[in-house]
Amino acid sequence: MSLILESVGFGLITAAILAISAVGFTMQFAITNVLNLSYSGVMISAAFIAYGLNVVGLNIWLCLVMAGIYGAVLSFLLNRFIFRPFQRRNAGAVGMVIVTLAVGLVLTNLTLAFGGPDNVSYTLNNGPTFTAGPFVMTAIQLAEIALAIVTMLGVHALLKFTRLGKAMRATAANLSLARASGIRTERVIAITWLITGFLCGMAGTVFAMDSGSFGASSIALFLVVIIAAAVVGGVGRPYGAMAGALIIGVVMEVSASIISADYKEAVAFVILLLVLALRPEGVLVRTSRA
Amino acid sequence: MSNGTLYYLTTIFTYAAVDMMACLGLNLQFGVSGITNFGFIIYQAVGAYVAAVLSMPGDAANGGFQTYIGGLHMPFPFPWIGAALAGAIIAVPTGLVVRRSLRPDYAAVAMLVTAVFLNTFVNNFRPLFNGAAGLALVPAPFSGIFNSQSASYQVYYTLFALFLVGLVYLVVRLISESPYGRSLRAMRDDELTAGAIGKNTDKMRMTILLVGGAIGGLSGAMLVGFINLWAPSAWTYPETIVLIAAIIVGGRGNHVGAMFGALLVPVGFLEVTRYIPPFGPPGLVPALEWVVTGILILAFLWARPEGILRERRRRLAKFLPVQGPPPLLGSSGVDS
Amino acid sequence: MLTASDAPAEATASPGSLDEPLLVTRNLERTFSGVRAVDGVSIDVRPGRITGLIGPNGAGKSTMLAMLAGTTPSTSGQILFDGRDVTRVPAFERARAGLVRTFQLSSEFKRMTVLENLLVSVPGNPGDSLTGALFARRKAKKFDREQLLVAGELLERFRMTSHADTYAGALSGGQRRLVEIMRALMARPKLLLLDEPMAGVHPRLAIEIGEHLIALKEAGTTVLMVEHELSIVDQLCDPVIVLAEGRVLAEGTMADLRSQQDVVDAYLIG
Repeated sequence: MSLILESVGFGLITAAILAISAVGFTMQFAITNVLNLSYSGVMISAAFIAYGLNVVGLNIWLCLVMAGIYGAVLSFLLNRFIFRPFQRRNAGAVGMVIVTLAVGLVLTNLTLAFGGPDNVSYTLNNGPTFTAGPFVMTAIQLAEIALAIVTMLGVHALLKFTRLGKAMRATAANLSLARASGIRTERVIAITWLITGFLCGMAGTVFAMDSGSFGASSIALFLVVIIAAAVVGGVGRPYGAMAGALIIGVVMEVSASIISADYKEAVAFVILLLVLALRPEGVLVRTSRA
Repeated sequence: MSNGTLYYLTTIFTYAAVDMMACLGLNLQFGVSGITNFGFIIYQAVGAYVAAVLSMPGDAANGGFQTYIGGLHMPFPFPWIGAALAGAIIAVPTGLVVRRSLRPDYAAVAMLVTAVFLNTFVNNFRPLFNGAAGLALVPAPFSGIFNSQSASYQVYYTLFALFLVGLVYLVVRLISESPYGRSLRAMRDDELTAGAIGKNTDKMRMTILLVGGAIGGLSGAMLVGFINLWAPSAWTYPETIVLIAAIIVGGRGNHVGAMFGALLVPVGFLEVTRYIPPFGPPGLVPALEWVVTGILILAFLWARPEGILRERRRRLAKFLPVQGPPPLLGSSGVDS
Repeated sequence: MLTASDAPAEATASPGSLDEPLLVTRNLERTFSGVRAVDGVSIDVRPGRITGLIGPNGAGKSTMLAMLAGTTPSTSGQILFDGRDVTRVPAFERARAGLVRTFQLSSEFKRMTVLENLLVSVPGNPGDSLTGALFARRKAKKFDREQLLVAGELLERFRMTSHADTYAGALSGGQRRLVEIMRALMARPKLLLLDEPMAGVHPRLAIEIGEHLIALKEAGTTVLMVEHELSIVDQLCDPVIVLAEGRVLAEGTMADLRSQQDVVDAYLIG
């Protein structure tokens, strides 16, 4: 039993990383209606950028911020010069899947080419270990959870209380209506990509931090887990992604302690497939089936 | 011709045959019928595994260092027939994923996820197909009778593989140029309308998934019979991307284009890297290969989405009667 | 083939087997997102006539047509076609049974030629299955050749012969509308559901289509037509059903309807 509780603790850490990743991913879908399969490519390249800075002595948290900035700029450029032009060309939903897939392929392999085939690690201080009942966590892990919570609160505040957030929600809900009511949708979309790109870059670094030792291919399976979290909560819904991240994260780790750690991701895959098969709009979505 | 050159040629032509056959299957599903099956590699993988475990002896053989199901030690052609059947059978559940009511991009992602999931599962669940290590010492067809390493065997194998590709090409062409092919293309264009004119699109989709699955399975058998081993690393999801790239580049909906794409992308790339001296750290050249593949996909989708060899227009006007007979409908003949 | 047959020229209103309605709806309803688009509609469509379905915007006409064709499910109610309850029967089966519709937004197959569009609409092609494609090639060819004759006629009639091998997506809006009508005719329907067939069509070609519909009627095909242009409805349709706010407001000939005040108020202007 305490083993299960301990794995819940791991689950919270995984959920934290997932939450930051999935919220960015799902918001990109909300604003552009595209499942951005290059998301993991941006994440891992950001992680390596952070590594490059970390190696020359920069503090890991500053590296995290720099990685976020990199993610923001890269995501903005990708949308501006690749995704948007293809959408304007009427590439179609499936066409966009192939486009984002190809972009992800390029990013991940460029990272592999520049970063080298060997796994690397950040130089960081794990800090003291804290124990609370069955939960055992290092300071770094607690910091990751704290970061996730702060990020969630930040996204919530943005969407709920700022004009930009309202504009984002309106644009995501109905583009033409938003434009007609005077919202500068092009600008809103560009800013959304900047913000979600920042989240993406951060998420990549946190993922790498938590992995200990990582390489360009470490992220491959994780993209599917991110998609699972987003889909479970209803694609395009930021709050759903947060909840989905919690569910998937905990379920993954608990099942790892019950079944075997090898099948950790497989559990997330199965959940994703089941949701897509039975309730593609998301399990946490109240919907009237037309 | 030296033996080395001969082996090189037979290897490259057999790989070409396998890729061409797989691309024909994927093209039938994706290019002709519009089914977004991005997990096509599953069929090839299943076919290869089934052909392997049907032709291999029980897993206690050879010192028992491998664990797998089956081991029925069946002679050719049963493993290959089994492979095609297995490909068709596993196409049935994939039909649940790419169904009409699911958005096509969700379906596409779901198929990719399925391919990744199955790969992870087989990789970890050793009792099935020996896990990450995969299967080795897979007997080649008729290996009890002939020496499968001899030059003449290799040549015959390659010729037979190419012959099978020819057969598959004929079948696939018959399908797409028939009235059934017309209905498939109508489904590709607008599924709702196709239903409105009486086409049972669910049945059509499942049929094409089965046929494509069988083709994919057969291509897997052809490959495993030649290289005599198979492992999860051979069918990670990027391998499906290679096939998709082949069809996008070579020609979507055009069977010759699909085969051409197979020669260009999987085979062509493989060969080009032979002539580039490996520079930099290990793995750099393959990584750059993938970068180029990605860029190629983007370039073609942008500039020439139909591919190099476009789908041909079907010209039927030549079959219309020359004008003359009076209109057969009892109208007042207002003809201004 | 479509020829003028000995079908009864006058279908009187007297009850009897000759005048059994081809299509019946009973209390058909369609509700979504809390809106009652169609609110308990019961109509009869008699064979051998062109029945008009008119009404102001939002009256539920297109929804009705979608439910009859089977592309939208009904929330409640019954649909009987040719004596058979088709309420739960999928669209493709209704089409095969002879209940065929055209769409309001042109939905021809853009990446197929005009001739292919016409050929694909014909039911019963022996080559239209996997086994047929592989093993019944000769029969399929023969069938195709026969259908090409019919298609050729239609192309002549609508003056589209020069576009026989043009991709449907490359045609103008009016031409695409013609392709759609021709496609619906190739399907040899018992009941043809038309959704604003004259929309966006050149007036001269609209006359052609109208004549063709009359010829169809005389050959025994039944038509249910949604139309906004009242002059067209006047020329072609008898009877006419008026829909307003999801319910049947009135039914009769255009002359009858013009004299009913509530219809005039709801919809007709003069």
